[in-house]
Amino acid sequence: MSCKPKTDEKVLYKMKRIALALLICLTGASSAMGVTIEWWQFWTDSDIKPVIESMVTEFEEANPDIEVELRDLTWANGHEKIVISLASGSGPDVLELGSDWIAQFADKNQLADITEYIVDDSSEFQGWGMATYRDKVYAKPWILGTRVMFANRDLLDRAGHDEDFVPINFPDLVSSTQKVDALGDDIYGWGSNAPEKHRLYKKFLPFFWSYGGKIYSDDGKYVLLAAMPGIEGLRKYKWLHEHVGYVANQRGLEDAFLDGKIGYVISGDWLLKRIKKENRDIELTSMLIPGPKFPGFSFMGGEFLAINAASENKEAAMKLIDFITAPKNQVRFCKAAQAANPSSLTAQEDEYFTSNIHFQTFIKQIKLAKHPPVDPNWVKIEAAIEEAVEEALFGSGLVAEPLRKAALKVRQLKAE
Amino acid sequence: MVRRSSPLSVTLRYAASIIILGIMIFPLLWMFRVSLLGPGGIGFERLASTAITLGNYADLFTSSGMGRYLVNSSLVAAVVVGGNILFCFMVAYTLARYRSLSNKLLFISVILVLMIPVHIVIIPMYVLMVRTGMYDTYFALILPWLVNPIGVFLVKQYIESIPPSMEEAARIDGAGEFRILFQVVMPLCKPALAVLAIQVFFTNWNAFLFPFILTSSDELRTLPVGLALLQGHQAIDWQHLMAGSSIAVLPVLILFAFLQRQVVSGITAGAVKQ
Amino acid sequence: MRLSRSTAWLLALPWLITFGAFWLFPVIYSLIVGFTDYQLLEPEWHWVGLENFKQLLSDPDFISALENTFIFVIGTIPFTTVISLAMALLLNRKFPGRGLFRSGYFVPSITSLVVISLIFTSLYQRGGYVAMLAEMIGLTTPEYGFLQDSGTALYAIMAMDVWMSVGYYMLVFLSGLKAIPDELYEAAEISGAGRIRQFFSITLPLLKPTMLFVLVINSIKSFQVFIEIFVMTKGKFDTMTAVYFIYERGLTTEFAFGYASAAAYILLIIIAIFSVAQFLLLRRKAPLW
Repeated sequence: MSCKPKTDEKVLYKMKRIALALLICLTGASSAMGVTIEWWQFWTDSDIKPVIESMVTEFEEANPDIEVELRDLTWANGHEKIVISLASGSGPDVLELGSDWIAQFADKNQLADITEYIVDDSSEFQGWGMATYRDKVYAKPWILGTRVMFANRDLLDRAGHDEDFVPINFPDLVSSTQKVDALGDDIYGWGSNAPEKHRLYKKFLPFFWSYGGKIYSDDGKYVLLAAMPGIEGLRKYKWLHEHVGYVANQRGLEDAFLDGKIGYVISGDWLLKRIKKENRDIELTSMLIPGPKFPGFSFMGGEFLAINAASENKEAAMKLIDFITAPKNQVRFCKAAQAANPSSLTAQEDEYFTSNIHFQTFIKQIKLAKHPPVDPNWVKIEAAIEEAVEEALFGSGLVAEPLRKAALKVRQLKAE
Repeated sequence: MVRRSSPLSVTLRYAASIIILGIMIFPLLWMFRVSLLGPGGIGFERLASTAITLGNYADLFTSSGMGRYLVNSSLVAAVVVGGNILFCFMVAYTLARYRSLSNKLLFISVILVLMIPVHIVIIPMYVLMVRTGMYDTYFALILPWLVNPIGVFLVKQYIESIPPSMEEAARIDGAGEFRILFQVVMPLCKPALAVLAIQVFFTNWNAFLFPFILTSSDELRTLPVGLALLQGHQAIDWQHLMAGSSIAVLPVLILFAFLQRQVVSGITAGAVKQ
Repeated sequence: MRLSRSTAWLLALPWLITFGAFWLFPVIYSLIVGFTDYQLLEPEWHWVGLENFKQLLSDPDFISALENTFIFVIGTIPFTTVISLAMALLLNRKFPGRGLFRSGYFVPSITSLVVISLIFTSLYQRGGYVAMLAEMIGLTTPEYGFLQDSGTALYAIMAMDVWMSVGYYMLVFLSGLKAIPDELYEAAEISGAGRIRQFFSITLPLLKPTMLFVLVINSIKSFQVFIEIFVMTKGKFDTMTAVYFIYERGLTTEFAFGYASAAAYILLIIIAIFSVAQFLLLRRKAPLW
C-alpha cells in the first residue's frame, strides 16, 4: 500500500511468485550502448508528428550516444497518465507540460530544477514567468499561445465602418458591437462564452487585467481579485455579454462566427488553422484586445518542456529540450502546426510570422499578455474565479458580490 | 409454434420497428456521412450534398497507422474473446451449480471487481504492471481481461434458468463431469455464449483507459487509443475522427450480424423440458 | 446430485488466478488507502482512521454528486429496462428483416462511448439538431444549449445513455426469451390465455434470471457513469456524479487519493446495497420449475 516502494515490493513479490509464475515476462529488450531517454508529448496530428519525429532523428544523429523514445499522449487524458506514472515513480525523462500544470508538479518536487541550465537562454525566450515557482525555473518554454480579437469584416462593412476600422479601446468596441448587433435578429455583436471549464476565465481575464485588475498583489501576498479595477473589468465584460452577446460554448461561438452570425469574437491561432483547413469563405480582421483607452492585455499560456526529477539522464534530457526549443526548430514546428506564438524571440522574427498579418497580431498581442499566478492550487483558484464570473453573468446580476466571495475562497486556496 | 398475425399487426410491427430504427441509427448515419466529407464545415448543406470522398479513410491508413491499430485491436480482442468463452463458462457453471459458502464468496469477488471505480484501481494496476514487467506489452492488454465479470454473471444467470434435469440424466447415464459440461451444458448455453462473445468483443474493442495507461509505444496502440489521438488540442477534426469511428464500428457489426442468429437459434423447440 | 468439490474448484480456477493476480492487490490497496491521508506525489502519509469517511458524508460536493448519481440511476434504469424488453419482444417474432433491425438497434451499443458523447455534444449544442427538432414540435429549448443549462444537462445525458444501452440489453433479453420453452405458450394458448396474460404469467416470471442480470449490471454501470460527463460537461451544470467527483479529487484538480478512495468505497457500499436489494426482490419466489 501507499506509494512507499518497499511495501509494494513485498506484496508484489509474493503475488509474482504465486500467481504470475506461469507468465513469461518480455521486457523491452535491448540495452543500448549510450543512454536512452523517454519523451512524452502531445502532438499527434498527421501534419505535426512527422516534424517532431524528424527533429528527434536529427537530434540522435547529432548526439550518437543518446537515443530518444518518443511517446504520444492524448490531450484529454495525458495529464492523468503523467500523474499516474509520476506517482508510481516511473515517469519519462522529458515531459511536455501545459503551463498551468507546472506549479502543481514543481510543488510536489516532481520536476528537476533547471535554473542553472537556462541562465544563458533567459533573454532569448519568452514565458519564463509561467515556469518559475518559488524563484526556481522548472521548465523551458516551447510554444506559447495567446488569444486575440477577430472581427467579421463583412459585418463591419455593413454596420457602416470604414474598411480599416479597428476598435482600439473599449468604448469603440461597445459602439461597434451595437451597430453590428442592430443588423438583424440573427446577428450578434459579440461572442460570449457560456460556462465551460478551463475556457470561460480565459475570456474574462483580459478585460479584468486591461482595467487594472490583479488576482494577487505584486508581492504575491494579498488577494486583490475583488478590488475596484477588477470589478470594473467584469462589469464591462458583462455589458457585452448582456447587450450584444451570442452565448455558446467556445466551439459553438467559433461555428457561429464562421457562419457570419457574430461581429467580434476572442479566439486563438487555432481559428486561423480551422479557417484554412475548412476552406472557409470569411474575410476577417485580427486585432489586439481593446482596453479602457488603448489596447489592453490578453491571456497567455503555452506548452513547456520539463525534466522528471527522478530522471537519471538529466544532462541528455536538457540537451534534447534545448534542441527542440532551438529557434530554427520552433519555426519548423510552428509551420507544421500553423501556430502563431513560438517562445523564441529569434523565431518570432522569422519571415513565416512577419509575412502574415494575423500572426503579426498574435506576436504583438503576446507582448501584451499576462498569465495567471503560478500556484499549485491554480486549478481550484481558476474554478473559484469561473464560478464568480458565471454567477455575475448568469445569476442575480450583481458583479461585485460574486467576486468578493471568490476572493475569500482564493485567499484560502492560495499557496503560502 | 405458429401464431397467426393479422395484416394490421404486421403493419404495426413494421412501422414500430422502422421508427425505432430511425432513432437508433440517426446519429451514426451522421457519423458515417461526415466521414465521407472532404475538408470543410460539417453544416447541414454539406451533409445534404452528394459529394463523397474516401480521402479521410485513406489518410487514416497512410498517415496515422490505422492498419497497425486494427491489427493490435483484432489480435487482443480475438484472444480475449476466446479466453472469455471458455473461462467465463467454466466459472459460471461452478457458480450456478455448486452451491456452497465458498462459491458465494467467489461470486462476491466477481461482482466486487465490477463495483470499484476504475480510477481508484488504475494506480495500483499500473504499479503492478510496471513491477512485473508487463507494462507496455501485450500481456497488459490481455491477461487481466481474460475472465470478464459481467460475462461470468451473464452465463451464470443463463445456466440457472436451464433446468438441471438434462445434466442429471446424463450423470445417471454415467457421463463424466467434463463431458456433461462441454457436451451437454455448453451447447445449451449457445445463446448466452453468443451474447458473451459479442459483449466481450465490443467492450474490449472500445476499451480506452487501461490500454492508454498501461501501454505507451506506438506498436502496441489499440484502435480507441488511436482514435483519442485524433482529437486535437482546440478543435476536433470531425472528418477523420468519424472515419476512424466508422472503421471501429464495422468489425463489431459484422461479428454481431454473424452471431445474432446464435443468440436466438441456439435451442431447438422442446430441447428444454421439465 | 451435484458437482464434486474438486471439479468445482478446478472450474473456478480461471477466475481465482485472474482475481488473485490482477484485482486482489488493487482492491486491497485502494481500501487501505481510504483510511489514510495519502496524497499522490507526496512521500508521506498517515493513518487517519475513519476521518475521510466522516468528512465525505458532510462534504456538500460529495453529497450533491451522490444525489446526481441517484437521479441518473433511478431515471435511466426503468426506461432502459422497459424499452429494451419491448424491443426484444418486438424482434423475437420471426419476420423478414428482423436481423437488420436487430443490428440497427444494436449499433449504438458497440460504438465507442467517447465518440458517441462527442457526437451528442454537437447534437445538443445551441442551434443543433436536437434543438431544431424540439422547436419544430413547439417545445422551448434552453437558450445556450441543452448541456449548458442546469435544468436539462443531466437529463440530456441520461437520454443519451438510455438510447445507447437499450441495444445491448435487448440482446440479453432475446437470449433469455429463447430459454423459455415454447410448450408453455402452446399450453397457455390452448387454455385460452391472451397475449397479455401470457406475458405476465409466463414470459416475465421465466425471465427473472435475465431480468436480474439486466437490472444489476445496469445499476452497477450507471452508478459509475463517468465518460459521458467527462466528455460532455466536465461536471458542470449539476452533472457532477460520484465517479467524476472521485476522479477530480483523486487524480486531477486535487491529488487527494486517500479521500477519493474512501469516496469510492462509500459508492461501492451503496452499489452493493442496491444490488443485494435487487437480488432479494427478484429471488423472493422460487422459479416455476
